[in-house]
Amino acid sequence: MKNNFLLGLAIAATILTSCGDDDTADIIINDNSVTNNNNGGGTTNPDTDVELTGDIASSITLDATLNYTITGPTIVKDGATLTIPAGMVIKAAATGADVYLAVEQGGRIVAEGTSSQPIVFTSASNTPNAGDWGGLILLGKAPINSVDGTTTTTATSEIASLPYGGNEPADNSGTLRYVRVEYSGGKADGQSENNGVSFYGVGNGTIVDYVQVFEGKDDGFEFFGGTVNASHIAVLNAQDDSIDWTEGYTGTITDAYVKHGASHDKGIEADGFNTDVANNGGYFSKPTVTNLTIIGLGSGTGNEAVRLRAGTQGIFNNVWIEGFEEAFDLDGADAANPTGAGVLSGDLVVNSVIFADVNVKMKNDTGETFSESDFLTEDANATGTDFATWGAGWTRQ
Amino acid sequence: MRKILILALISFTQFIFAQNKGTITGTVTDKEMSNEPLPFANVFIKGTSIGGNTDMDGKYTISAAPGNYTLVFSFVGYQTVEKPVKVEAGKTTIINQVMAASGGEQLKEVQINATVSKDKETALLLEQKKATVIKESIGAQELAKKGVSDAAGAVTKISGVSKEEGNSNVYVRGLGDRYLNTTMNGLTLPSNNVNKKNIDLNLFSSNIIQSVSISKAYASEFYGDFAAGNVNITSKEFTGKEMFEVSVGSGVNSRAAGQNFVKSEGTGQFGFYGRYGSNPFARVLSHGIDPVDGGAPIDANFEISAGRSFNFEDNSKLSLYATASFERGFEYREGPAVDFITVFKKSFPNSKEYQYSTKTTVFGTALYKINDNNKLKYTSMFLNNSSDEVGYYGFKGLGENRDAILNTDEGFYQMNVQFNQDLVFVNQLTGDHKFYENDGDKTPELEVTWGIGYNNVFAHEPDRRRVSIENYQFSLDNDPTTNATFYNNNVFDNQRYFQRIIDEELNSRVQITYNASDVLALNFGYNGRIKTRDFENIRYGYNFVSNNIEVDPNNIDSVINLENTQFFQNQQNKLFNIEVFNKIPGYADSNFVSLPGTNENEYNGQLRIHASYVSANITPNDKWTIVPGVRLEYLDQRIDYDVININPNDAGFRKVKEVFLLPNLNVKYSVTDDSNLRLSYAKTVSVPEFKEVAPFVYEDVTERIGGNSDLLNDPSFSAVHNLDLKYEWFMSRGELVSLTGFYKQINDPVNLVIANDATGTQRYFRTGDQAEVFGAELEVRKALIKNEDDQTQLGFGFNFTYMHTQQDLKSTTGLFTATFNRDSDELQGASPYIFNANIDYSPTQFENFKPIANLVFSYFSDRIYALGSGTGNIVQKGVPTLDFVWKNEIGKHFEVNFSAKNLLDPAIERVREIPGSDDVTLSKYNRGINLGLGLKYKF
Repeated sequence: MKNNFLLGLAIAATILTSCGDDDTADIIINDNSVTNNNNGGGTTNPDTDVELTGDIASSITLDATLNYTITGPTIVKDGATLTIPAGMVIKAAATGADVYLAVEQGGRIVAEGTSSQPIVFTSASNTPNAGDWGGLILLGKAPINSVDGTTTTTATSEIASLPYGGNEPADNSGTLRYVRVEYSGGKADGQSENNGVSFYGVGNGTIVDYVQVFEGKDDGFEFFGGTVNASHIAVLNAQDDSIDWTEGYTGTITDAYVKHGASHDKGIEADGFNTDVANNGGYFSKPTVTNLTIIGLGSGTGNEAVRLRAGTQGIFNNVWIEGFEEAFDLDGADAANPTGAGVLSGDLVVNSVIFADVNVKMKNDTGETFSESDFLTEDANATGTDFATWGAGWTRQ
Repeated sequence: MRKILILALISFTQFIFAQNKGTITGTVTDKEMSNEPLPFANVFIKGTSIGGNTDMDGKYTISAAPGNYTLVFSFVGYQTVEKPVKVEAGKTTIINQVMAASGGEQLKEVQINATVSKDKETALLLEQKKATVIKESIGAQELAKKGVSDAAGAVTKISGVSKEEGNSNVYVRGLGDRYLNTTMNGLTLPSNNVNKKNIDLNLFSSNIIQSVSISKAYASEFYGDFAAGNVNITSKEFTGKEMFEVSVGSGVNSRAAGQNFVKSEGTGQFGFYGRYGSNPFARVLSHGIDPVDGGAPIDANFEISAGRSFNFEDNSKLSLYATASFERGFEYREGPAVDFITVFKKSFPNSKEYQYSTKTTVFGTALYKINDNNKLKYTSMFLNNSSDEVGYYGFKGLGENRDAILNTDEGFYQMNVQFNQDLVFVNQLTGDHKFYENDGDKTPELEVTWGIGYNNVFAHEPDRRRVSIENYQFSLDNDPTTNATFYNNNVFDNQRYFQRIIDEELNSRVQITYNASDVLALNFGYNGRIKTRDFENIRYGYNFVSNNIEVDPNNIDSVINLENTQFFQNQQNKLFNIEVFNKIPGYADSNFVSLPGTNENEYNGQLRIHASYVSANITPNDKWTIVPGVRLEYLDQRIDYDVININPNDAGFRKVKEVFLLPNLNVKYSVTDDSNLRLSYAKTVSVPEFKEVAPFVYEDVTERIGGNSDLLNDPSFSAVHNLDLKYEWFMSRGELVSLTGFYKQINDPVNLVIANDATGTQRYFRTGDQAEVFGAELEVRKALIKNEDDQTQLGFGFNFTYMHTQQDLKSTTGLFTATFNRDSDELQGASPYIFNANIDYSPTQFENFKPIANLVFSYFSDRIYALGSGTGNIVQKGVPTLDFVWKNEIGKHFEVNFSAKNLLDPAIERVREIPGSDDVTLSKYNRGINLGLGLKYKF
């Protein structure tokens, strides 16, 4: 009898434990340090502190005597222009991806700094980290190849789901000159993060000259199609790809400087089209990149400078690659991703390049047969870009 | 010549004899079924072999020489009745007989056969013959005979129906989950899965089913949201005196056998999870990631059922029935898992998944028969089903990720450890009442049926663990200097995920039938339902300090543990911090780098429907039944959401109110006594589900699926036109041939398509102006060998459906966009060919041994799983299934059952079609053969 009783208890206990018990520990968070670090630590002054969030529906010029902090999605609407005077520092609340400045199709940003008075977008945190906030997002009406590119059909942006793309190559989203974007790249979902500056179908009426992305969690600059020409762009310590293009980008990149930090992906990651959708436009990305320097962490660290995939084309002139296991890695083996075919047709070519501390100059995974010299021409006189000169004064190192 | 003469002579004498005979005729009715005609009852003259069975309408006719006889009426499970009868030459004697279920000793026979007339295949065929709408049913008896253990298996025995292997998706004429409704006793059933509109029919074991029917043609009493059909489960109605039975079974899956099973840490063997009360962040810190031993993969089930009826002095009768069951199963799947849209984004040539699932059912019903005219039924059901799944993707070191950081050519690996638990509560009260103008009237003047139901669903995905690793191949070699490292592109590449859905629904029906005359009956009805859904999820990600954190993939907890967690800024020598989307307010920018958060995504859905209808049953003569009807339905649907990464200008909600006027007509023409011609037209609608409109993205290992709230913009629904023409011939008892042609036009159809953004997310879009479906169904059920009692010994049945579908495609704009590189395509989910066949062998010559053997085959051809936009479609390849079931009743108490299912063990394959090139396999695995042995004892 007693045995049966014990057995009964044992069975009951087995069932109870079999039902999954909860041995989760209590978590006690001792909050005795938080007050020192509230958004820059300073007290707010209602007279001079302004929060930026929501829609900018009519043109405004920021007041250089005020302190602006972006606290949420801030969107320059169609027809409006946001003008930012030289020398201003726009802070962004360090609360992640939902803090960003986006310029909608038809809207414009005019941020014209100078080398001595750059315009800075940065984290409002006292202890800033990459990914504290979203970043700059420009959306235009220039062609993208995920739609057929001849109509006004649009795609929606990876971040914020805003429309972009169209049939106006000369579209103008404004001016970014002497602008620095710091600590951007907040996560947007389980696979997407904000870039430093994202160009979604931005047209070549837009001026991008002297722009740096510093300490970003994701890519530095990413070009989603469009025709925008960017000059004097620098990316330091981007944790993903420093420069990324896709979706039929056909602008020019002139004088670009990339330097890797401890956490990073490729220097340049280039796709011919958006492989998550399709090449509905029937053409591939083909920018002209002139005066490019990419500095890695050394050839022993297994890094890769430039990844060319999904049929991308492009003309590279005067390139300096230093400190990488691999310099150029070409992918895309089938008819839909004819990266190798671009080499054979001369649409993907590196006209002059110099390698320093590089083990593999070209890795061909395209299935096409060509020699290294078909793709690249080494040039002892290549210099890359002269970042020391044009980056002086306004960039962070 | 001489033979002919003799033959003629014999015929002549018979003719002479017949002239001298008298006739006995009459109708046998079933007291248990409200005096409906009882077919196939035996009527014999005692002591002779003169006699036969009643026909479909319960009628019999016997010729006999003049004299005094005793007529014997019998039917299995019913009291045998003897009646004296006098036959006079050339005259007809009418004897009508009511038969009632037997009591006492013979009752056990009822229990053993578990047979009352409504669940008999033959009776359901009769019901199908009599029905005024196109409806096909399968009852408990047929289920048992065909070796079907649940409602999911049941519906696939019905023509034009197919089921997707490995999940709960049911397709009726190629239209899937979103075009179907599931009801129990005519009241809406909730779905147990956020991703589905319909409940998993696997959850309804045969001991809670009286019958399952699919109405493929619309009638006014159905909710207007009807395109493919309505699945109705009539829950068990116990009417015998008492019963008690116990069964146990065990089995094994050919591919699971011998595998070392693993499961989530913290989940119970019975499919429960005890940590819902703890904050997810506390669970992240308290518990590890690595899976634990999952036990030996031996399938098992246990079931206990009891029923008892009480007869009261006032002739009322209360029947109670309850059943509880537990079932567990193991499955092991191995094969490739690939994410390919236009390139190999992720490719795992080798993946393996271990799945341990349980199903617990508690079901009780009380049937109170107040008298012949009034009946109440209370039904309560609790279901718990769980799935404990551990997946290793890229376990041979050959996985590739296009966006890998260290190595894009090999070594990408992911592990997904996931537990899902769904708890479903259903409570229903239904009533049937008849009111007669005069006592003794055959037809009641008024019939009232009503029902009210209250449902709750709790669907949990607690603490899904997912890790991503690069250079996994280094963990397979013996070189201690090279090791696998965590992949850390996004902080959620290594994550803990928590999701909860709570559904609540109140629904009701009432119908009043006024039998105005023999020719005309009018039905007036009301349906209402109020349904709400609350969804929430939260996710924590491990943010590693660098790309080079090494780990042993078999011991994740050696790295991801409290000691290595950075909680504060400036803490040194830590390997990661724990991030969340929405940190608790006030701490977004603080000294803490690992903190709990608030929900990542939330949505709340509300659906209110009120509808009234009127229809008429017009039967001008025996040949024609004409049922015109019209339904007026008010629908109010609203979704409120707060989700990540959405256009900041979006309103955060959509709401819509619609009023539908839905005319329909069902016509039946009885060509002969045994055959009908039916025509049905109805206008119906298809409205989006919560999961389709909530713009929340669920991220699976190789797939992302999200909703699109624009589906509730104008147009907020699809108008559907349905046309069916059916010919059916009931050849004899249990035999049938039917041929159906059908056409559907679905305006503004909804499809799953890759959205035009850079994330590869599939979303729901109204992708065109119109889709059309037309096709034909052929069904044959034939007895090959019958015994002397006209019972089928060897039977054969098959059904075949051919469909042609087409929809136009257009680019869509809105919150999300989709574009196409073509103007039209087939309809998602539609297999051009569906084929089901079965052979039953049930010899009856043994005294104490009743074996039933059954072989069932089904096949559906390739169908679109998701539409490609600028690329090929994702296609589910056709799957053949062959099951064998062998049941043996030994004596009165004992049953030994053997089953061998999925005998062909086909590959379950999903591919991406590539125009002008070979398909890319996205997933491919075999489910294994399931062998089972069960014992049942009936007291």
